[in-house]
Amino acid sequence: MKKLYGFMFAAAAAFALTVSSASAQTPAPTESAADLREIEYGKDIFKTKANCQFCHKWDGSGDQGYGGNALPLRTTELTLEQFVETVKCGRIGTGMPYHDRFAYNDKRCYDTTREELGNDTPPIANEYLQPREIAAVAKYVFARQKGRGVKGSYEDCLDFWGKESKQCEQFK
Amino acid sequence: MNHIKTTGMLAGMLLAATALSPAMAADMTMERALKADSEPGNWILHAQNYEGHRFSRLKEITAENAKNLKLAYTVALGGYQSGGRYPHGNLEGTPLVDDGIAYVTDGWGSVYAVDASANKRGSRVIWKMDPGTDRAWAGDVACCGVNNRGVALWKDKIVSIALDGRLFLIEKKTGEMLWEAKVAEPAVGETITLAPLVIRDVAITGSAGGEFGIRGWYDAVDLNTGKQKWRTFMIPGPGEPGHESWKGGGNRWKHGGASAWVTPTFDSTLNLIYAGVGNPGPDWDPDYRPGDNKWASSVVAMNPDDGKIKWGFQYTPNDPYDFDEISEHPIVRMKINGQDRTVMTHAARNGFYYSLDAANGSFITGKQYVDKLTWSTGLDPKTGMPLEYDPKKDVQDYIASMTPRRSRPTTDVKCPTTSGGKNWQPTAFNPDLNIMYIPSAEGCNKLTLVVQKDWEDEPGGTVKPRDRFTGGGGVNQGRIEGSVKGVDPLTGEMKVKTAYRYPNWAGLMATAGNLIVTGWPDGEFVAYDAKTLQEVYTYSTGCGINAPPVTYTVAGKQYIGLLVGSIQKAAILQDSPELKNSATCSMFYAWAL
Repeated sequence: MKKLYGFMFAAAAAFALTVSSASAQTPAPTESAADLREIEYGKDIFKTKANCQFCHKWDGSGDQGYGGNALPLRTTELTLEQFVETVKCGRIGTGMPYHDRFAYNDKRCYDTTREELGNDTPPIANEYLQPREIAAVAKYVFARQKGRGVKGSYEDCLDFWGKESKQCEQFK
Repeated sequence: MNHIKTTGMLAGMLLAATALSPAMAADMTMERALKADSEPGNWILHAQNYEGHRFSRLKEITAENAKNLKLAYTVALGGYQSGGRYPHGNLEGTPLVDDGIAYVTDGWGSVYAVDASANKRGSRVIWKMDPGTDRAWAGDVACCGVNNRGVALWKDKIVSIALDGRLFLIEKKTGEMLWEAKVAEPAVGETITLAPLVIRDVAITGSAGGEFGIRGWYDAVDLNTGKQKWRTFMIPGPGEPGHESWKGGGNRWKHGGASAWVTPTFDSTLNLIYAGVGNPGPDWDPDYRPGDNKWASSVVAMNPDDGKIKWGFQYTPNDPYDFDEISEHPIVRMKINGQDRTVMTHAARNGFYYSLDAANGSFITGKQYVDKLTWSTGLDPKTGMPLEYDPKKDVQDYIASMTPRRSRPTTDVKCPTTSGGKNWQPTAFNPDLNIMYIPSAEGCNKLTLVVQKDWEDEPGGTVKPRDRFTGGGGVNQGRIEGSVKGVDPLTGEMKVKTAYRYPNWAGLMATAGNLIVTGWPDGEFVAYDAKTLQEVYTYSTGCGINAPPVTYTVAGKQYIGLLVGSIQKAAILQDSPELKNSATCSMFYAWAL
């Protein structure tokens, strides 16, 4: 069943795989109130506005769907800076969309333009993001997903979806 | 499988009263349903009549005077909350209208009774029944949006569904939910999106979830008791004919998709429903599931009393393209070589138009209706199978460069796209002109196979229930556009057509006033002259349209109404940046002269 969501696919070739030890969503002791606020803000963008979860799954464990595989964010080896660039610019030749409205109007992304890329231009994201939003979603992924095992835990699920849904029962 | 949960202390009594209460004058009865054509002032069945024509005999509004149409009223609805993988709900429902009241749904399953009269002032929403859908749980296993395609009428009740798998019986006058029955199970990836089909005293629904490894089914609930009457799986089990078409070992057949998410049509003389069946799973890794994979990407004719399959016809055996054929199968009675025949038709997602003998499923004819079709060179005139279909092969190649295989995982540009020449958006049939109108999508994509992993109930498998199970995917190549095409219902010969700059995601309605009516993703509501498909009226609603129109009368005056509000599919946005900033809404619009 589907009416093609051709846009939201897969992510980037640069997402390489490593596996780290799992841990719950418990904040790191070094996270300040400001950090926690930005992480929550990033979670909301990941969940709804940018809808990253459609392809990458709620826990960033990666998924398959229309367009191929959205690679796991939990095991990415990208640096924070590279991750931000990927959200901003998408990935050329893949289904990973760009979120900077002007990404390929000039050469700010990968030193190329829409005209030069033609059909290899990454898809347009459903919602563009401002730099502050991209920074927040990157911070959320690096604080709550990357390096925390290949899949989210029951506690991670409750943190993402809340307790009122049956959504997390499968992770008990 | 059906477990009634009562919503109040008196539920048992209510059930008993429901079972015993006689049909009132305005109650929905089987007699009314069979004669739906004779009361064009009401739109009482999902597809206007059981045969699925979406054709109204009303002709106050005509191709000649439609230029004088005016917006009569609008009604704001809800249902755009986020849930699961989706930022908001979507509107794909066909309203039902009975005695001046429209019964409409939003994507999360709320039902609204809307006063559809001409001069109503103030709020038009008489009641709203919000079933409290578990949005995160259901929305996480909905492949393609938060959808609900409408309700059914039964006696003095409304029958509705919710995405999280429940069926409801609702008091028509007040909106009180009398009972709910659990039908589909999101815990294993099942959801419900279709409008129930009520025949006599049963409500027939089906399971969506073809991208989540379900084993699809149609299911009938006795509305007098709320208990399951029958369930027929669309993938035959061990010992059943067609089971042998699932090879490859393991539990392929248990997770092979074959979903059900569009309301079947019904022929009362043959006492058969014509039920479309979704794609095999995983969608794009046919090497995972050798064999023809019956009854995926097929139509089955079933007895609505017991669910037994009388015959089936598979459009794309071993479908490697995700050409699920769930959409409507209109029934047309006609003379062929002087003989009266009942013909089942289908504008297929695979890009061909088919006509079959409705009694036995024998192929009559088929013809390409999309502008460009590259995965096959045509249909065998005797069997209706694609010319490249080889029954000796377990995995079909069709035109090899268009077909994803493990030996060559990425295809060339293939047409039509994965979403098909036509998806769920319904056709409309004008019997006066003898033309079947098809809302078409024109475009192409490339497919990439990703080797599918096994299920956890297979040795070494890791895939769990609710995991996506697609074996790859596709990326559109270039702009996807649309068209409305009028074809001969028997032969598929093109009689009239028009193009549009976007694909049609709404579906069509035909009227005796020689109108074809639809909406488009850019928010344009358009009425066409049925003979020429020239536009005779347009109105910019302000947000995308994703739902089929209906027509009805109130106090003798004809209206055309439809739900307005949709996700803007990013598959469109890639080459239509002018739609990028259009927001969704959730509205019911009505027009009149």
